[in-house]
Parts: sequence; structure tokens; C-alpha cells
Amino acid sequence: MADVAKLAEERKKRYLAAMNLEKPDRVPIRLNFSGEFISKVAGYTFQETYYDWNKNIDATRRMLAKIDGLEMVMGGANLWWATLHDAVGARYLKFAGRDLDENTMFQYVEDAYMLPEDYDDFIENPTEWVATKFLPRIHAELDEPGTYRATVGLIKGAYGLANQLAAGGQGMASYQQEFGVVPSVTGVSKAPFDTLADTLRGLSGIMMDLYRCPDKLKKAMEVLVPHNIFYGMATAQGDTEYPLFMPLHRGAYPFMKMDQWVEFYWPTLKAVIEGLWAAGKRTLFYAENIWTPYLEKIAELPDKSIVFHVDQTDMDKAYKVLGGRFCLSGNVPNSLLAFGKPEEVKDYVKGLLDKYARDGGFVIDAGAVILDDAKEENIVALIEAVHQYGVY
Amino acid sequence: MSNSMTFKNLPPAVCLPWDVKAKELGEIKGDADLIKKEWETLDMFGYIYIWYWVQR
Repeated sequence: MADVAKLAEERKKRYLAAMNLEKPDRVPIRLNFSGEFISKVAGYTFQETYYDWNKNIDATRRMLAKIDGLEMVMGGANLWWATLHDAVGARYLKFAGRDLDENTMFQYVEDAYMLPEDYDDFIENPTEWVATKFLPRIHAELDEPGTYRATVGLIKGAYGLANQLAAGGQGMASYQQEFGVVPSVTGVSKAPFDTLADTLRGLSGIMMDLYRCPDKLKKAMEVLVPHNIFYGMATAQGDTEYPLFMPLHRGAYPFMKMDQWVEFYWPTLKAVIEGLWAAGKRTLFYAENIWTPYLEKIAELPDKSIVFHVDQTDMDKAYKVLGGRFCLSGNVPNSLLAFGKPEEVKDYVKGLLDKYARDGGFVIDAGAVILDDAKEENIVALIEAVHQYGVY
Repeated sequence: MSNSMTFKNLPPAVCLPWDVKAKELGEIKGDADLIKKEWETLDMFGYIYIWYWVQR
């Protein structure tokens, strides 16, 4: 147990040093696995880990026992406990074993669940609008508020989420005690544009809003800023050591033109990140896809306030524009982990470390969340390459 | 501007403001601060539950 505690302390020290732009003993390994990859490695079907929360927690434990050298985890395997979503009658998710084959990844059914005419209510009091308008709209069980089924659905939803969060916290603590892993992130929040685009207006809806009701869109995003800061700190339970996870979606190039990105996407995202930083919380700027045109704007952020995560952004340019002021992470291509050979993975990792990690301030990771198409032997190769070439 | 919301511009962490509840409760015979603190803590959990469905 003492050795495991020491291991956890070493890993924490290594990760924090890299995020503070220092040179740790070697490059930290933060791999962001999907629940589907973890299920595959653990020998569970996707249905089992979506529906059986004990198996979901156990899947990560099995993976940690199987793959040596993993240093961090985000938590339990899957984000979703399907039973919780069944309890409220979620219209926007399809799950393995219910709507889909038992080993098919969940599907999100995107739609404009918030309508353009909802903006005024949302701006006036977003919490009340979500509770009274949005939740019944997206949940079949809540269709008729005040009825027995709707009341029971609400109760089960709240109880289910509380159970899920408690089990997830216990799981994380047990991983740390058994395997010496540390959390890669604590807490989650979003860019206000993504809050609206991901679950409320949908991509097609918000793209129309850019032209049809730009002022209302801007006002709604401004209203969201303090909520998104608070939500991040609350879900992190006040932790300020580890970064907050901020998956960034609709700000990727080329969803918007540069002038639109500057006018609509950036100001409130910047405000959220600066608000979190003022509270002592660093953001993992998880820039999915391509963000190359926006690097100079991102450089406006306070030094060290983010870890800039590179998926398909130009790594050379990211290093040139942001390196030395922000820790960088990434960018082993997911396609390489899925279709490459272990030697190719090792060569790619060596190239990354040689070019971008020599001065510290670098965390190795895949470009994006590692899905079930990744080969286990390629993950092992990635870890071995860091141990071989990533020592300072 | 809409007038269909019960409250306007509620800050983060608040579903039903303590001030509103306190008026409904009337005179509090014991430790009002204790009741307020616990009310606001549970109100915050309600807030997180509501926003979970948006921020997931």
C-alpha cells in the first residue's frame, strides 16, 4: 500500500510539474479512454457497462490491472448510466442493448430541443427555463408535469444521479488506492456557445441563430458565463490542483468563419476560462479537431491558465504560438492507435517528444478520446515509448 | 423580454432563493443562519441536477 501511495504521489508531482511548465522526471502519460475501449479491454459488453454501474466501475479496475503504466484516469468507464436515462425517458440517447446492438457505442440524437422563441425566457432565468421547459421536452417520462409518472421520473432521476456521482467518487478513490493512478481532470464545464449548441439549439439551430438572432444568442451566452464557471467549480468539488475538463466542440475549424469565431465563440469562452483561473482552476482546453486559425487569440489567455490539448491542430504552430506559456498535450493520432502498428506508434511518440517535450511543459495523450477501435498493443507501445524516450 | 418566468436573473447555485423561502417561513425561533446554510446547500444540489442535463 505504501508503494502505491508513493506511486500516486510521483505521478501527481509529474503531472503538476508539466502543467506548470516545469521539467518533471519524465513526460506524464494522460490517456483519455472512452468507456467503450475500457469495456473491450475489461471483457464486458457495452451494454453491461452502460447498464450495470458496478461493472462500469469494475471495468476501469480491470483495465488498470491489465495495462501496466497507466498513470491517470478520468473516473469510471462510461459517462452514462443508461438506467438513469431510462428512468427519465431520455429522447436524445440510444444505448447498446436497448436500441442498439450490445456492442455498439451510444448514439446522441441531436435536435433543436430549445427553439428560437425560447431565448427570452432562457435569458431571463436559465435555471427555471431548463427545469420547467427543457427537461419535460427531452424526457418522455416528464411529458405531463404534475402527473404520477412525471413526479416519479423526477425523483428517480435525482436519486439516480446522486447514486451515480457517489459511486463514481468511490471508484476513483479505489483506483488511486489500488493502482496509484491520479485523476487527469476534476470537474467539467463548457464554452457557452457549446452549452447552447450541443444540447439546446443543436448545430443547425445555432448556425441559423448566428444570422437570424445574433443579439439574443450573444445575450444568452453572456448569461451562461457565471453558470459555467460555477458548474465547473462545483463539479470539481472545489479542487484546484487538477485541471477542469472542457471538451470544445463547435468552435473547431471550420464550423465558423474567423470573424464569427472572434465575435461569437471566443469572448464568453475566454470569460469562463478567466473566471475559473481567478478561482485558481486551470482548464484542460480539449480542442477537438482543428484549432490552428485561432491560436493567436487563445494566446491572449493568462499564462498557465490552460493546458492546450492538440488533436489535429498544427502541432508546430501550437508549439510556436503557445509553447512556453501553456502546457501542451496530445497528439498521437487516434487513427494510428486504431490502424497502426506498435513500431509506428513508438516512432510517432519519439518524434513528438523530441520536438515538443524537450523543455518540459508537455503531456502525452491521444489526439482525442480513445475509442474501442484502438488496439491494446498500441497503447502499450505508446507507454513504452514514453518510458524509453520521455525521461528528462 | 419575457414575463413567463417566476424569477428573474437567478445567480448560479440558486433554484429557490432563501429570501423568498424565509418570508414564507415567517418568524424563525432558532438559529436562522443554520437553516439558511443548509437550505442553500441543498438548493445548490438541485441546481446541479437541473444543469446536469444541459452540461453533460
